[in-house]
Amino acid sequence: MQVTPSYDLCLKTVLADPKSKDADLTGLALIVVDAVKVKGINTINYIKGLENSRPDLKTVLDYCADVYNTSVTVDVPLAVTALSEGNPKFGEDGIVDVTVESQACESTFGQYGQRSPMTSVNQDMEDLANVARAMIRMLL
Amino acid sequence: MHMNLLDMNTFFFRSTFPLILLTLFHNIMTSSSDLENPLAASYAPLPDGELPAGNNPTIRRPRKAALFLVVSAFLVLALVALIAGNGPVLRKELNTEVAPPSTTSTPEKVTPLSRGVEKGVSEKSFRPLLGADNSYPWSSNMLDWQRTAFHFQPKKNWMNDPNGPVFYKGWYHLFYQYHPDAPVWGKIVWGHAVSKDLINWRHLPIAMETDQWYDEQGVWTGSATILPDGQLVVLYTGSTNESVQVQNLAYPADPSDPLLIKWVKYPGNPVLVPPPGIDTKDFRDPTTAWKTPEGKWRITIGSKINKTGISLVYDTEDFKTFELLDGLLHAVPGTGMWECVDFYPVSKQNENGLDTSVDGPGVKHVVKASMDDDRNDYYAIGTYDAHKGKWTPDNPTLDVGIGLRYDYGIYYASKTFYDQSKQRRVLWSWIKETDTEASDINKGWASLMGVPRTIVLDKKTQSNIIQWPVEEINRLRTNMTVFKNIVVEAGSIVPLSIPAASQLDIVAEFEIDEKTVNRLNGDDVGYDCVKNGGAAERGALGPFGFSVLATEGLKEHTPVYFYVAKGVDGNLQTFFCADQARSSTANDVDKSIYGSIVPVLKGEKLSMRILVDHSIVESFAQEGRTCITSRVYPTKTINNNARLFLFNNATATKVTASINVWQMNSAHI
Repeated sequence: MQVTPSYDLCLKTVLADPKSKDADLTGLALIVVDAVKVKGINTINYIKGLENSRPDLKTVLDYCADVYNTSVTVDVPLAVTALSEGNPKFGEDGIVDVTVESQACESTFGQYGQRSPMTSVNQDMEDLANVARAMIRMLL
Repeated sequence: MHMNLLDMNTFFFRSTFPLILLTLFHNIMTSSSDLENPLAASYAPLPDGELPAGNNPTIRRPRKAALFLVVSAFLVLALVALIAGNGPVLRKELNTEVAPPSTTSTPEKVTPLSRGVEKGVSEKSFRPLLGADNSYPWSSNMLDWQRTAFHFQPKKNWMNDPNGPVFYKGWYHLFYQYHPDAPVWGKIVWGHAVSKDLINWRHLPIAMETDQWYDEQGVWTGSATILPDGQLVVLYTGSTNESVQVQNLAYPADPSDPLLIKWVKYPGNPVLVPPPGIDTKDFRDPTTAWKTPEGKWRITIGSKINKTGISLVYDTEDFKTFELLDGLLHAVPGTGMWECVDFYPVSKQNENGLDTSVDGPGVKHVVKASMDDDRNDYYAIGTYDAHKGKWTPDNPTLDVGIGLRYDYGIYYASKTFYDQSKQRRVLWSWIKETDTEASDINKGWASLMGVPRTIVLDKKTQSNIIQWPVEEINRLRTNMTVFKNIVVEAGSIVPLSIPAASQLDIVAEFEIDEKTVNRLNGDDVGYDCVKNGGAAERGALGPFGFSVLATEGLKEHTPVYFYVAKGVDGNLQTFFCADQARSSTANDVDKSIYGSIVPVLKGEKLSMRILVDHSIVESFAQEGRTCITSRVYPTKTINNNARLFLFNNATATKVTASINVWQMNSAHI
């Protein structure tokens, strides 16, 4: 039964983690939330690499690094806490924030009249966060 | 008189424009001599920004002139700013073109796209505002401005649900879900504050910490009950060390301390654990208790079974041992988990509130629940059968969770209490942030309580409640400005000259033109605040209202308005909406449109009240029949840049408005 968006992404993410074999719904949601964190960390590293090769984009890249850092250090831990403590709606709010942050990163390039070099990266993060959100909503 | 739109676009964009054009425009305004409704008393218009001392009202004389607002330019009023510095602010009529938004409406929080881009102004020329400390996009000026002046909030960090509100030994007590370590939700304790007047507050030490195994993961929401002998008891939900939701009893360590600083948790806790068939994570938020015909105490606790929201009922004699009733107080399929259930009587005839235990023929009962699934508070009016412990809604199509909401904006986890000192039922609610957590971290705090509201049954409709800010809030009013019988032609906007616009109480009445209404053919197109186009979408009889937290050129503004629709049957429907679509040029804040239909009875004028307090706007229609709470996070409309406008974006009718605007003093919080 396909309930989340990006069904293939959901399946791939969940199956990549061996813990998924014995996980309940909360456990599966935590797996996807963890994947969001990992993707966030990877994205921050990617941005750092970009800053070297594209110094013209520095202002926006700095901003994007900031917001992705928030996703990793605030939004994800909030979701983990909320899921573990049985009040998942706060986790949903945290994960929704991840999508807002990645969209903000993307649109800020445009606001500076620049073309984003991170469109697919930002989209990937948004897609994954939306999968996590859908799973958290199932716990409400 | 026509002015080429493109001209206006280009020359208004930079405000360095020659005074020649200014003067030209100024002359156009003043040369028109069409005065409608000459006033009985005529006062010379006062220079902008100055008001006589005390309560002398300022009366503006309405003028009529031909003006144009180009939606894409929105900079016409940059001109006003230039004029306003030199003399009285003139009223302008603006022809608002319907410019379809460059992005489709985004009702969900998930995709807040930039709404700031209009025709003729490319993204490229829109430089995001870099603050003094260069932190993009939010400067500390912008973030500091967001903090409110008369809404309850702790000094810093995160708050959510109000808990155990009560009037005890001369003090109003408010406890609240508090995370002391960060401006995001986490391991929650009970914060505590007291007040003599529900407006000015003293913060007290944390009342209850997560120091027991049965509330180790959180001291969650609960309620207070005052017993007939004056004793105070609290029941609250603990999230145990294994994240099981249980109910616990607590009481003041020293009942003679009116500040109730120290609390004791009953050694025999928990007093309730999830019953069979109820999930360990679906059992929270016990209510205030009320008396049963047998003389016992009764509480209700929300839960769910699959996707049916339910309310469990327990009886007790001592708040230590409980008996689960066989039946439920009520249940509604498809509504999901019921959080923060509230249950209370309202008088059918009288204007006072009722103690929670009151019952009888002159009484209806309200059941309210916070829907976890959609984050809104719903209520329904019905009849309580005390012997069976069951409640039935008057109108099952408007049942709990599917019918009326307390508030059509941001309003959740609300809870009432009976204020025995003034015999009123008072409602508290949690108002969350709708910006990002990153901003909350930067500004160091998150969440407010709404201004407390009294609740009574609407005697005229008998089918909804009325909420109204507690009258103590009026004590903050100062510097009233009166605008009487302003006629606003279709498609025009009036800047209202007031000293400042971040802390306001606005009370207004509106009349639309009866002849216009009568000659209009109705249609059945229908209207929905949330799904239609906000204040920019024009109808024959609306929208009209105020733009609050507006910049001079309406680059940022938050319209709060009525929209009247005439059906083919000739009947009018009135909608009340708040439009955040252009509330900010930031791209990481919620820009939804909120609102609902509001009942308007024959002979009633349209009336609205708006409390503006920095990043929160609370709007009330028809004396509290429909309420909307909004969070607004402008980047430009801060400090002295905030303005207030009256507008009529209807195509057919003129609107006559009479308005009182007060500046609101800051409370001590």
